[in-house]
Amino acid sequence: MKYLPLVWRNLGRNPLRSFLTAAAIALAIALVCILRTMPAGLDAVLASAAANTRISTHNEAGIVYSMPYAYLAKVRSVPGVVAAISWNWFGGAIDISKGVEFPNFAVDADGLAEVYADWGVDPKVFEDFRKYRDAALVGRATFEKHGWKVGDVITLQSTVFPVTLSFRIVGEVPTNGGSLYFQREYLAQALAAAGVQFDTLGMIWSRVDDPDRVGPVMRQIDEMFHNSEAITSTETEKSFIGNFFSGLKQLVTIIQIVAALVTLCIVFIAANTASMSIRERVGEIAILKAIGFRKQTIFTTLLAEAGLLALVAGIAGAATAWAMLKGLQMYATGAGPQLGPLTAFIVSRVILVQAVFIAFFIGILAGWVPAFGASRRSVAQTLREVF
Amino acid sequence: MIDLVNVSRLYHRGADEIHALERVSLHVDRGRFVALMGPSGSGKSTLLNALAGLDRPNSGEVTVAGKRLNEMSEDELAAFRAHTVGFVFQFFNLIPVLSAVENVELPLLLTNLSKAERRQRAETALRVVGLSDRADHRPRELSGGEQQRVAIARSIVTDAELIVADEPTGDLDAKNAEEILSLLQTLRRDFGKTVVIVTHDPRAEKWVDEVIHLDKGILLEKRPGGAARGAAGATG
Amino acid sequence: MALPLSYSWRSLLARGSRTAFTVAVIALVVIATTLFWSLIGSLKRTLVSSGSPHNLVVMRKGATNDGSSQLSLEAYQTIRFFEGIAKDAAGNPLVSPELVVQPFFHTTGGTRENVLVRGVEAPALLVHDEVKISEGRMIQPSSGEAVVGRIVAKRYRGATLGSMLRFGNADWKVVGIMDAGGSSFESEVWVDARELANNAKRPLPYSGFRVRVAADADMDALARRIGDDQRWALEATREIDYYKHLSSTANTLYIIVAFLAVLAGIGAIFGATNNMYAAVQARTSEIGTLRALGFSRGAILGAFLAESVMMAGFAFAIGAAVSWLLAIGISTAMGGIGFASQTFTTNVVVLRVAPQDLLMPLALSVLIGVFGGLAPAAAAARLRPVDALRKA
Repeated sequence: MKYLPLVWRNLGRNPLRSFLTAAAIALAIALVCILRTMPAGLDAVLASAAANTRISTHNEAGIVYSMPYAYLAKVRSVPGVVAAISWNWFGGAIDISKGVEFPNFAVDADGLAEVYADWGVDPKVFEDFRKYRDAALVGRATFEKHGWKVGDVITLQSTVFPVTLSFRIVGEVPTNGGSLYFQREYLAQALAAAGVQFDTLGMIWSRVDDPDRVGPVMRQIDEMFHNSEAITSTETEKSFIGNFFSGLKQLVTIIQIVAALVTLCIVFIAANTASMSIRERVGEIAILKAIGFRKQTIFTTLLAEAGLLALVAGIAGAATAWAMLKGLQMYATGAGPQLGPLTAFIVSRVILVQAVFIAFFIGILAGWVPAFGASRRSVAQTLREVF
Repeated sequence: MIDLVNVSRLYHRGADEIHALERVSLHVDRGRFVALMGPSGSGKSTLLNALAGLDRPNSGEVTVAGKRLNEMSEDELAAFRAHTVGFVFQFFNLIPVLSAVENVELPLLLTNLSKAERRQRAETALRVVGLSDRADHRPRELSGGEQQRVAIARSIVTDAELIVADEPTGDLDAKNAEEILSLLQTLRRDFGKTVVIVTHDPRAEKWVDEVIHLDKGILLEKRPGGAARGAAGATG
Repeated sequence: MALPLSYSWRSLLARGSRTAFTVAVIALVVIATTLFWSLIGSLKRTLVSSGSPHNLVVMRKGATNDGSSQLSLEAYQTIRFFEGIAKDAAGNPLVSPELVVQPFFHTTGGTRENVLVRGVEAPALLVHDEVKISEGRMIQPSSGEAVVGRIVAKRYRGATLGSMLRFGNADWKVVGIMDAGGSSFESEVWVDARELANNAKRPLPYSGFRVRVAADADMDALARRIGDDQRWALEATREIDYYKHLSSTANTLYIIVAFLAVLAGIGAIFGATNNMYAAVQARTSEIGTLRALGFSRGAILGAFLAESVMMAGFAFAIGAAVSWLLAIGISTAMGGIGFASQTFTTNVVVLRVAPQDLLMPLALSVLIGVFGGLAPAAAAARLRPVDALRKA
């Protein structure tokens, strides 16, 4: 520790070089942070589906394939199922020429509060949802994006059903992305009025009483419909979301490859500077050894120099990444729908802190060889050569 | 104080074999001011390195201040140098990013003294060489002579018994050279240090107790220097 | 008089490891940028190559893609006789009614993906003339058969020629492989439209249709007629524009990558500047000598700038070559890369580094070379011969 001032001063030996090296490392670290954050956005979505007792049942053929509405009652009767509701994709658009801007679903009012107890929605709001036939719950992201308030009335024209419905917003869903939910009964009535038959559902979401019973319950549900017309596939919500974004796995691999390349970059930047600055000082280092400094001490202080510079750069880089992520979050989220949650650009403290440590270790790694070589040089030989 | 017996040192430069020292034996009493002189390549620097514990001879025995250097490991030699020897070189003496007083303090980092104690000793040493007012200056702000004086201050800050200096006046003009040599003599006279210098400078002869001539790695002659003969002019 | 380029080149080589480090840094930046840029480029090329300049896509008004559209039978039966629509040899209109469904498929690796299954009728291959059956044959109606795109055959279980492909809770026999010149049709599976409607329990057999416009007809006028028809709320778009629009969403990806590339580029500039300053410092006496000999400031500036640009150029060459190889390696190892498309299906893209993908990384390299070397070169040029020689 008492050598810290010496280490620090040595970085100030060539301030321009130290600055340029630190700046290069900082930017590379910022880049690594941003890149690593992208898959983290996906992980966050997966983690948010933490409810480990909520399961989904869909047609084995795909979620665009429907199932008979009668399935719901059967699922509700399975022991272990506390509550179950159905989902139907409404595909409603505010402006038909712009198409569907956010997901919207017709759901059963009965059981919604139990299945989605973790939505963070006030029980009073759930009450209102049941009370008003035309009630709608809206996910936070969409709620804020359109600047809606509780009590607002909005109209959606369906792109799958031949109806247009008006909804009264009764509340916001804080933890949900941006979907809108309304009563299935409301849709059923409108379709009946239009003379359209409506006895199917898209998906069933159920809550199981006990996490340990989830496996058996899922199997029981699928067995129940095994020989029916529409074969079902039941999985946990986490698995469902994981599968939904499974296509992104390959992109994540490529992003990780690139992040690794950039990290390698940092090694080269740090190693270059370390070797340059140490090479210049062979005479001085020889004097220090002459005075009595042991080679371990010399080695440690030289290593500390590289590590310290990289550490400072890492902190600067993480701070830069933080600022940039905030900006990206504001302007680039949802850009490139091909990437889904990869463009959430969340700010992950874990990743930022890891980046600082990565920088530090890279500095140590990069400085190792030049520092080792310099500490081992024979004093007498150096004095002979230099003088 | 210093005893070298049949010391030989051989090293390789590229494909050549250089016989730097050939069975050199030397004895220096405590408290003497000695100059090692000779042409380029005579082995004087190698001899200095050997008695300062900087380099190991290939054969022969080196005993300094009662310690047998041949038997010491590298770390033990480092510790020996830290406590027993003070160094002054021709170039690169001072760390450019540290101030004068910080440079003087440097060897004290190897001790257990507190920060305050280190600073105090360093300031005292600077006083001895007459540079107290330049304590906070960086080396590039000091003249060549001043830099050497700081180096000398550093060499005494640990109370080393032996001071070695390799061409301490090599880069200096006449006036500064005289000042440095006078200072070195003071170390021996007032502080009882043993001082061994390597030099080309014939002016050094009048300041030292003994002059040792080397050539081609062999000790040629020893004769008393100006100080031993009680020559005048060396007042300070 | 300028200094010869060989001076710059030799100076670079003399500082071996330091040059190598800096070249490595710039090359890595080039590789990272090229990979991302090519990824988007490959995606766009896949989409843009889809679609024929002679075709119109007709969907429900407001549908942004043919996966979310439905169409009434009367609309199809009426519009197909509109003037301006091309006819086949027998005089039948070249209109291909289609149904788009997105069932689950499983990749050979076990991942579940949505695949675009297109229910078609007889005119399909005539209207989509860039689609050819490269192996096997086209499906027969009502036979439970399917033809699959080239990429589908390689990516999903049971999709090879002659196999039984299972989707929609039914088995379909793969009787042919579609080759569509690298377009998005190669990520599709085609089956008989009525069979598909039955399988997916769709009340309406078609979601949209594609129209081949007659060679002498006014395409836009026909599109307007279809769109303005009050009987149905339809919209007709040029097929080229339809796919261009789908690919335009990738443009925002370009912006994100460009942003990251600039970030990386600035980092590389700092690295290059660092390296060049060290070079100048190490060679101050050399520079002094050159100036004393009579070389102008401009010559010195030019020589150092040339060194920096050469380094960047060399790094670009290495980076481009490595990227090209890496892309092939990644494509071989991972097969195509799946992108989510607006139709909620997987658009499989084969990652390739095409020449046009290298333009941006080249520009980046040049900028790194120029800006990285500028300040140090100027510093070198400013050295006075006297000072430079004295420092030695």
